[in-house]
Amino acid sequence: MVVAGAGNIAVDVLLAAGVAGALLCCVGVLVMRTTYDRLHYAAAATTVPAFLVLAAVLVREKVGSGGLEAIAAVGLMFLLNPVLLTATARAIRKAEEGEDG
Amino acid sequence: MNAFEVAGTMLLAGFLPLVWCAATRRAVDGLVALELAGTLTVLALLCFAEGFHRSFEFGVAAVAAVAVWTGGLVFARFLGRWL
Repeated sequence: MVVAGAGNIAVDVLLAAGVAGALLCCVGVLVMRTTYDRLHYAAAATTVPAFLVLAAVLVREKVGSGGLEAIAAVGLMFLLNPVLLTATARAIRKAEEGEDG
Repeated sequence: MNAFEVAGTMLLAGFLPLVWCAATRRAVDGLVALELAGTLTVLALLCFAEGFHRSFEFGVAAVAAVAVWTGGLVFARFLGRWL
């Protein structure tokens, strides 16, 4: 009984922190001045918030088939995202060069 | 509603500022907002899969993670070339 209660509390805390982090990234993309700063916040969402949500899922699912697929989803997002950021930063630079040129 | 359904719903609410950002700013800013929206989508899919107790739907989140990445690369490549 106590274990179930602790599990629920852990899930609530992890989810609250993960969702708060993700929404903070949304605010960052909205209010930051330069596009590079916004890109920084867009990238941050794939790190701490994603792993907090993953931890909450694993508290419930343990490492069964669902848990492994959740690990795959967050792991893919975490490992693939730097490539996308680099391509986006190059596009931003070209856009800003085009405006200056 | 359980905690995961509430979390998934709040993640979807995070789309609102991103849609406004994409609609009112330059194309590259819209791309940045799109990428963050993709991340929120993957996290929301994880939350709803757990919230609705459908563990077979975690695979959808894994596929979405790859699709978001691929789509973002296509847009970045397009915007980098034809601005």
